[in-house]
Parts: sequence; C-alpha cells; structure tokens
Amino acid sequence: MYRIGIDVGGTFTDFTLLAEDSSGSGGTPSFFKVPSTPADPSEAIETGLAQMVDAFGYAPDAVRFLAHGTTVATNIVIQRKGARTALLTTRGFRDVLELGRQARPSIYDYRVAKPPVLIPRDRRFEIDERVTATGEIWRPLDEDSLAAAVDELTAAGVEAVAICFLHSHLRPEHERRAGAAVRAALPEAFVTLSCEILPEFREFERVSTTAINATLGPRMEGYLDRFRSRVAGIGVPVTPYTIHSNGGLMPIETVRAAPVRTCVSGPAAGVVGAAEIGRVAGFPNLVTFDVGGTSTDVSLIEAAEPLFTNQRLVAGYPVKTPMVDIQVIGAGGGSIARLDDAGALKVGPDSAGADPGPVAYGRGGTEPTITDANLVLGRLDPDCFLGGRMTVDPDAARRVLAERIAEPLGLTVERAALGVIRIAVANMGRAIRSVSIDKGHDMADLALCAFGGAGPLHAAEVARECGFARILIPREPGTLCAQGMLLSDISLDFVRTRMCDAMPGSWAEILGLFAEMEEEGAAFLDGEAVPVGRRAFRRLLDARYLGQNFEVSVDVEGLGPDDLADVVRRFHDAHRKEHGYDIRDRAVQFVSARLKAIGRIARADPPEIAGGASVEDAITGSRPVYVDDASGWRSATIYDRTLLPLDIPLAGPALVNEMSSTTLILPGQHARADRWGNLIMESA
Amino acid sequence: MTQASPAAATAPDPDRRLADPIQMEVFSNRLLAIAEDIGQILIRSSFSSNIKERRDCSTALFDAKGRLVTQADHIPIHLGAMIGAVEAILARYPFSEIAEGDAFIANDPYLAGGSHLPDISIITPVFHEGEIRFFAGNIAHHADVGGKTPGSTSGTSRSIFEEGIRLPVIRIARGGAIDEDLLTLIAVNTRDPEERLLDLRTQIGCNMRGGEMLVALVDRMGWAAVEQAIEDILTYTARRLANRIGALADGRYRFERAMDDDGFPGEPVPIVCTAIVEGQSLTLDFEGSGPQARGAINLPDSALKASVYYCVKAVLDPGLMPNQGSIDPITIRASEGSIVNPRPPAAVAGRAVTSNRLCGAVFGALYQALPPEEAMASCNDSTSAVSISGWHPARGATYVYPESMGGGAGAFADRDGMDAVHVHTVNSTNLPAEALELEYPLMLEEYALVPDSGGAGRFRGGLGMARQIRIMADGTTFSARSDAHVVPAPGLFGGRPSSVTRIRRNPGTDAEEELHSKASGLVLAAGEVIRVETLGGGGYGDPGERDPAALARDLAEGKVTRATAERDYGADMVERALRLRAPSRGAGRAGLHSIQEAR
Repeated sequence: MYRIGIDVGGTFTDFTLLAEDSSGSGGTPSFFKVPSTPADPSEAIETGLAQMVDAFGYAPDAVRFLAHGTTVATNIVIQRKGARTALLTTRGFRDVLELGRQARPSIYDYRVAKPPVLIPRDRRFEIDERVTATGEIWRPLDEDSLAAAVDELTAAGVEAVAICFLHSHLRPEHERRAGAAVRAALPEAFVTLSCEILPEFREFERVSTTAINATLGPRMEGYLDRFRSRVAGIGVPVTPYTIHSNGGLMPIETVRAAPVRTCVSGPAAGVVGAAEIGRVAGFPNLVTFDVGGTSTDVSLIEAAEPLFTNQRLVAGYPVKTPMVDIQVIGAGGGSIARLDDAGALKVGPDSAGADPGPVAYGRGGTEPTITDANLVLGRLDPDCFLGGRMTVDPDAARRVLAERIAEPLGLTVERAALGVIRIAVANMGRAIRSVSIDKGHDMADLALCAFGGAGPLHAAEVARECGFARILIPREPGTLCAQGMLLSDISLDFVRTRMCDAMPGSWAEILGLFAEMEEEGAAFLDGEAVPVGRRAFRRLLDARYLGQNFEVSVDVEGLGPDDLADVVRRFHDAHRKEHGYDIRDRAVQFVSARLKAIGRIARADPPEIAGGASVEDAITGSRPVYVDDASGWRSATIYDRTLLPLDIPLAGPALVNEMSSTTLILPGQHARADRWGNLIMESA
Repeated sequence: MTQASPAAATAPDPDRRLADPIQMEVFSNRLLAIAEDIGQILIRSSFSSNIKERRDCSTALFDAKGRLVTQADHIPIHLGAMIGAVEAILARYPFSEIAEGDAFIANDPYLAGGSHLPDISIITPVFHEGEIRFFAGNIAHHADVGGKTPGSTSGTSRSIFEEGIRLPVIRIARGGAIDEDLLTLIAVNTRDPEERLLDLRTQIGCNMRGGEMLVALVDRMGWAAVEQAIEDILTYTARRLANRIGALADGRYRFERAMDDDGFPGEPVPIVCTAIVEGQSLTLDFEGSGPQARGAINLPDSALKASVYYCVKAVLDPGLMPNQGSIDPITIRASEGSIVNPRPPAAVAGRAVTSNRLCGAVFGALYQALPPEEAMASCNDSTSAVSISGWHPARGATYVYPESMGGGAGAFADRDGMDAVHVHTVNSTNLPAEALELEYPLMLEEYALVPDSGGAGRFRGGLGMARQIRIMADGTTFSARSDAHVVPAPGLFGGRPSSVTRIRRNPGTDAEEELHSKASGLVLAAGEVIRVETLGGGGYGDPGERDPAALARDLAEGKVTRATAERDYGADMVERALRLRAPSRGAGRAGLHSIQEAR
C-alpha cells in the first residue's frame, strides 16, 4: 500500500512516496523530483508517477491515497488567463469591483498601478433589487431588469458569471433567483454566487473573491479533468485530493466549484507539514522559513497549529478564504545582488528566477545571485545540484561577483559574496521578527523550522540574526510541501455573518447558524465517506468590542445555550492575547460564525528511524568553506544526512548534504539527528 | 553628564567615501526592523480604531544630534512633526537636563514643530553606557484632543485655541515612570479620556521597548560600528538624492495650483511652487502663495516640510530612504504669514486638503525639470471629508460617521490616470456599504465612478467617485470639509482639465440644491439624499492623439459619454472609435501592469 504527496512548483514537481504494510503501520518515505511542465502541470505529475515505478518499484494500483498541491489557480490569476466573465450586481454598485477600498497600491510610486479590473465595466450589469442591513427587502427583485441583464450576458458571450448582491449573506434569495435565471439561459456557463462562495459582509472583498472564483472556474475544470485522467491512466485507483489554502485536503468536486480556495495551495502544505513534524519532535512553537528560488515564505506556528488568516492579496486582488497565514519576502536563491549609483549593495527583490537563473547555471544569467554567492563561499557543492543530475559552473559565479561587486567596492571576492549573504539574511530577519512580534512572541522561545531548497543553507545565520536558540530541519526539506500533503486532513470551511450584540437571544441565533453549518459539513463529509468517528467540527466566532472595526476569532468549541458568559470571557481573553489588552466592561458584538468540518485521514504514526552506525561512516569528505570575515576559509566536514547516527552532535563548520538541500553548520553551532529523521541545530 | 549637546547637526557630505557598504545595508535593515517593531507594538497595543485599524501612526529613530536616521513606512505627513518635536527638545533642553527614563510629549504646530493638534508625538532619549545615543519617536493621530468640534479637525475654526489642547515639548515621564498628573490633565481635556489614556500609555511604552532593542543592537555591534554605519547611511542617501537632482535640467520651474477659497466663501487662494535646480542643489520656493487663511486650512511649517519631502521622494526616487540625507539637500522657502507658513494662532486643523494641493504644485514644478515622458498630469490634489451624525435609535446614542473621499489621478505619457484613489499625503480606505449600513441609520444608494470626470487627452485622467447616501432618520446633521468645487485638476501638454467636485442635496428632485464645499451643520430629514461626486485627474497630451481603440473602450464602458467625447475628441474620432470593436480589458488578456505574486 502506498500514499503519495505531490507539490507542483514553478520549477520542480516534488513527490513523496510512503510505503505502508497491510496493517497501515511502518512506512519509509522516498523522495523524487522532476522538472515542472507549466503549460500543463499534470504532465509532470504523470511523468513523475511513471518514473517512480522504475526508481522505487511501487505498484500504482496499490496506491490508496494521492494528494497534490497546485499553483494552477494562482498562475491563472497572476497571468490573467481567466475565463471571459460577467458580473450581476445590485443597482448602483457595479463599480465596487473597480473602486476597491480607494487606497492606492504604493504611497510614493504612482507608476505602481492597481491591477486591471477582473471584469470590465461593460460586462458588469446592475439589477433593480435591494436588501437592507437587517436582511429586509427594501426593493423587490425586478424580473424585467433581471431578464434584460440575462439577455445582455448571452449577447456578451461569456464563459462564466459572478453574482454578488448587497447584503446577500443575510438574505440570499435574490442572488439565488438571479443564479437560476442565468443557469437556465446559459447552461454551459460557470456560475458563482457570492452567498455560496463567501457569505460574509464587506462587499468589495466578497465581490472580488466571487469574481476570481468565476474567472478561474472554466480553466480549473479543464485542468482537473486532465489531472484525473492522467493519474487514472497510470493505474492509480483512488480519486486524488487537492490541498487548499488552509492546508486541508479538498475533494476534486469541491475544487471544481470553489477553485479560489486553492490560491496558496502548495505553501500551505509545507506549513502544515512543519507543524506536524514540530509536534512530533517536541517543537510546538515554530517560525517556518521556506526559502525557494525567488521568494521566502515565513509563518508562525503556535502549539503545533498554523495561524490562519481570512484574507490576502493574490496578484493584487483581495481573496477572502481561510488560509494559512504566510508572509512572502522577495528574497530567494535567485535574488540578484546589485550595486546602485550611490554605492550601496542591494539584494533583491529582482530575481533571476529559474530562467535564466543564477550565473553559475550557465543559462544566460548575467547578474550575481544569492546562489552564486553561496557557490563562491564553498557552501554549495557544485557536484550535488539535483543529486548530481545538474551541472553548475562555480568559476562563472566567482567571475561575476568579482567584476560586479568585489572590484567596484575594493573587497575580496569572498568578502563581497559573504556581504551578499549577510544583506539577504538581514532582510529575511526583518520579516521573521515581524511575524513573531506581531503576535507578541520573543524569538528566544521559538524554534526556526527551515525548509525549501535553500532554507537550511541560511538557517544558521538567520537564527543568529534573529536570536533563535534552536533550529529544526526536517528530512528532505526541499520536498516538505509534498510531505505535508501526507500529514493533512480533509477539511472544508463554512462562514455566516450575523452582526448582533452579545445577548442570550443572539447567542442562541449564532448556535443555530453553527448547527446549520454543521449539517452542511456533515453532508460534505458523508460525500467523502468519512466515518463518524473520524469527524470533527471546529467552531470559531468572530467578535469585537462595540465600536471597533476589526474582529478577533474566539474558539467557542463545546459551548451551549447557557454559556454566553463563557463566550464573552473567551472573547476578552482572545482579545488580550491578540492585541495586548481587554476592556471587561465594554459591550461585545458578534460578527461572523465560522465552522471547519474535518475528516481525519487514517495514517500510520511516523516511524522512528534507526540511524547510521557512526559519525565516521556518514562523512563523505571535506571542503573549504568561507565562514566569516574574521575566520576566513575553514575546512568543513561533509556528511551524508541519510547515514547520520542518532543524537551525536556534529560540530560546525560542517555541511550536511541530501538530495533536495544542504544544511550549513557554522563554527560554534552543533547539530544532531533525532529519531524522527530531523536535524536539530543549537545556535549560538 | 559629560556629553555635550549638539551645537548644530552636521549635514551629510555626499562626497564622503562609504566606510563599509555591506555593514551599512545590514545595519540599515536592523534599524528599520526596530522602527517597524515599535510601530507594530503600537498598533497591536493601542486602543482606538484610528491607530489600530487605520494605522494612522508612524515611528522614527533619530541620532543624538537630532538627525533622522530611519522612518518606518506609514504616513508621510507625520515625518515633519517628529522632526519638529526632536528639534524642539534639542532647542529647549541641554543634554545635562535629560536623564535616562525621560519621555517627552508634544503636538503644537507653533511651539513644538507639530502638524495639527490631534497628531501627538512621544519622543524618548535612548542611553547607552550613560550617553544619549538615539531618540526613539512615534506619533499617532488621536480621535479627539478637545476644541470646539468632536474630532478636533473642524474646517471652520478661526484660531488654534478652538482646535484642542496645545502641548509644547514637555516631559511626560521621568525615571521610567509616567507623570500621571500631567497625563490625566491632557486626557480630561479631550472627549474620550479613557481612550486617550490607553493610547498615550501605549505610545510611551513602545518607545521604551524600542530603546531596549536599540541598546541591544549597540551592545552587539559596538558603538564605533554603529556610528560609522549611521554616517554611511546618511552619506549614501544624500549622494543618491544628489544624483537624482543632478540629473534634472538646471533652471527655475513654476507651477501654480489654488484652493477654492480660504475656508470661508471667497476668491481662490493660489499655491505657487517654484523649483530652482542648480547642479545638485534643489530649492522649493512658495513665494506667490496666498495669505494666511481665515479658516482652518493653513499649513504649518512641519506639515509643509513633510509634504515637500514626500513630493521629492515620490517624483525623484520612490525608493529613497527617509532620513536626514534625503532632507538636508532640499531648501524650502515660504514667507511668514502665508497660507503655507502661518503665524500663530492661525487655525490648522483642516491642513490635509492644503497639503494635497501644495503637493500638486510641487509635482507640477518638479516634473518640468524631467523629460516630458516621465511627467504625470495633475491629480485631484484634494480630499473631500464629509461627516454625518445623528441619533442612533437602536443604540440609544448619537453617532458620527466620517468619510474621506479621493478622486482621479493624473494621466501619464503612456497610460491613463488611476481611477478613484486618494493621492499625496492621504491614503485612507473607505467604509464598505455593508459595514456602513450595519453601523448607522443610513443607506448607501450608489457608489460609482463618475463618467466624464477625468480630463481628456492622449491619455485620460483617472475618474472621480460618487457616493450617494440616503438619510433614514429625522434630525441628521451633515457637514463637509471639501474643496476643488471651483478649481479642477489641470491637464498637461495639451491634456484637458478634470471635472470639479460637487455635493448635492436631493439630486434629481425639485428640491435639488448644490452645497458649498464647507457646508456645516445642515440638518436633514428622513428620506433626504446627499450625493458627493469628486473630481477626476488631468489629461496628458492632445486629445486628438488619443488611440481611437482606447476611446472606443471608454465609450463601451461608459467611462466617457458620447456627448463629452464629441466635445473633447471631435465627432470624427468618435465615429472612428465607434467603428472599432471595443476590446475588453481585464480578465482574459495579459495586462501590462506589474504583478504582485501570491507566492
């Protein structure tokens, strides 16, 4: 029996294959990587699944679980390749999508434009209808104006229709009637109703999310069909799952209806994986540090739970769905180092990306990158790129750093290269401090969890910059997102807005909403054949003090009709935790009820590993590494991570190599392998 | 105390060689991280939604010479007030009288370099091994500081004494302990003392945290390295700005904008900027600007400076670091007694509109020194603040609903202006209809772009916005602090001017009435309607050079009406445009715009 996780990235598609015996226990993971195929990402998936048969000798028909993380939705938004879409909305409000919140994107730079509107004005149609903020009908839906709009839609030849009326989250009947009329007239069109995709107040964010979902729908359907048939063609008998932005697994049919929920699919899986690995290894409080080719993702994990947010910008457009809260920094292996006209050295945000990539890749890159600097410093082994499958030219890296940075600054090439790294680390450190301080944490109490291809290479210096005492580096960190797929559960989020003062009557009403959502959640889990014993329903209530314009999420798990006092007390506590204070005598207002339906996937506990026989057996050689300007070049021992013995500290300077990454241990730091296959580094 | 007070801060020398560019960049990041951390702690721990949700606050770090070293990226106009407060401290207190654990408070434009009274600065000296090494500063816009009107930003006050409590630079903490007597005195002079107490305590506390972080940084790097890195940062920034100024064509460039009136009905008041470029020096002279206003729209010294620094950064180098190096190379001249340099006790509460109009004048002057293809036509250069208040029957209390509306931005040589945005020193967000209607007995009937509001041109000015509100309860009061009802945004290189802002009561009915930009205290009955339409931005280039396909798209989208198109572009071009099939923008087509990736 096998379980497979797949992460489709911009450059590579990563695989994790877990073999389990028939009782569902045991299990040794294998890792695999193939180049991505951006034109049709499912092609690389098919290639990898096929090649792994030869590489690992698994039987596709014995796969009982397959999940993938995909950037298909994100890329459609970024490249603006969505379907031709129209919008139906309340009379007087067709421009909301274009007006946004009226803030300009950059305070200083007027050439930074708002992203082009998703649906142009001549495909946005107004209907005579109006619901009030209390859910009453102020103006009934005018059937003639609806019919006229539907005629125009038909004439406009659209593939998708977004429908968003004011206050529809309180009273959806007008939206539903409009939806029925559109579906009757355009049976082929992909229709999204705002009351279904996001029944929450604040119209701009809702209409933006609804519009993005509609533009994604037709393209995503095509991709999902190809993906399914390729997986089936290989002989995998199960229906695959997709990771959605909150890190949970989503069945294909749900993705088909709500593709907008997959906008941060891949990165979310990495965070879920890190949280689970940290829980098992005894590091429940982490900052994740995922360094890729063009960017670095940072997020905070508290008590082995990722933090979630309900909103972020995707290519400049607000998307409001539950998501793992990830901060993105424009610094990765491909970030370009440049001297400006006034003599400063800047690293990023411009990136050589995967193509042309660093100068050392010899694919036409002409400006030095972070990866080039690491090669010059001996921190990356030129023979170990992609397990030796890729050749790089460290001399080219050295030449370009000498010419562009070192000579103009009058420095040695090593000092210049280390300077590039130090500046990148200071940049990354700023973002890491920010996610931690924002939630009131002290770095000394957190561990840094480094992954992505280049995370473990910079973790030692980032930990010193920020003051982390310990670093956790999961096995094959370059494929952690694919591993995370195997550690996730099925889930779906529901939300209802009901703004009301915290009173017994309104609490009863909120409980009614929870019951309603739980019924929908149960129906969803029925559809996935999740046994009752594996189900869970999480209840969160967004609330605020009267007069505030921002909400705090309160865990109201297990509270019944008589527990209003407990609800309010939990709100005060949550407010204090989130914002540093509470006001016990101030009136509290309920805003939105959120429910997450979870179906726990049956899986084996992670197996403990035996570890290698001795440190000596794990040594594969040594190499000079430039550690810092004071010590200069030092000989670093090189270890093969798969052969490390358990719990024996390795002293820096050292490098630990594995297929998908290299870990740098600096002088004064020690690292040891734990019994779960992690590397634990003590920073100093 | 052996440390000498700084006699005069030495200006950075752009020709000095940088000692260590790598250390400079690393230190600069660490310093900015501390300024940002102070800001995050302030936002996290404050109480009022003004600070918490609208983030109307800023933080900055100064060295012991009072030179600005870094500012976290928040509100441009706050910069001047923090600089002013630090200058006031250095002028008033010798270092021998400043002790560890002190903190200073200030807000007054005339006594302490403030910008208007609701913006309160807290400045805290940071000691390392007995010497003052830094000043940590933060500033926040408080929802009320007393005065004749709730919110302390009346458009019709005639003197600063009507605008709230005045604070020169004074100590609010000694030996790390807050002066509770003084804090209480300040708080009770405002309309929500509890909120003031909480927010001011937070402001004082987060500077202390910032001070600890600064001390840890000096411990880690050593003072010598820190001192060298500060000099490098200032030198580098001064050199970078000098390079940008040096690239401008030498000369004198004059641009004139105007306020509709001086706060009370009357003639337009000019705001004139002359940019004088000589080699690597830049002078901005406001001679010719109108006299001090009777109303509250005067722009005090620190707000003038902050507006100018904002403009220089925006026009010449948006990535320029805000520090002393970006300030010292600029000379500002404004005659005392003018609207841009008022004498006490002139009222200043409504300075935001004046600041925006002044920025319009500075942009217009600076763009003349740049190649034409880099220029932008005038933006709306305004902001229309309206306030609706009344009795909230469900809450059994009075409510105040404030809204501030932007308009169109100017067109560029290669693209139309942005629609419906705040410009210059304002960048706040709107209140969504669904939030508005839940909070107040009001109904938003329309929120839309205003067709024909952008100036015609080869590229069109951005459109203004309309907001139409239905009053749902009798006895509702309406007031406006608006402008640009008379003076539009001019076009550039043959581009046409924008529309002007209009506020109407009961539009489209027999009772329709056009309101004055400073209409105050109007009492409305249930069922009455207020409609605000803001102006657009100026056009760029001759309308006759517009791409007919772009005009076709505007016509198809209803952003320009046929009648206006025929007037501005001529019947021939409209005919040609209508023969083209209007291509749609948006989804389904690759955009030319920069892309912010999700990952």
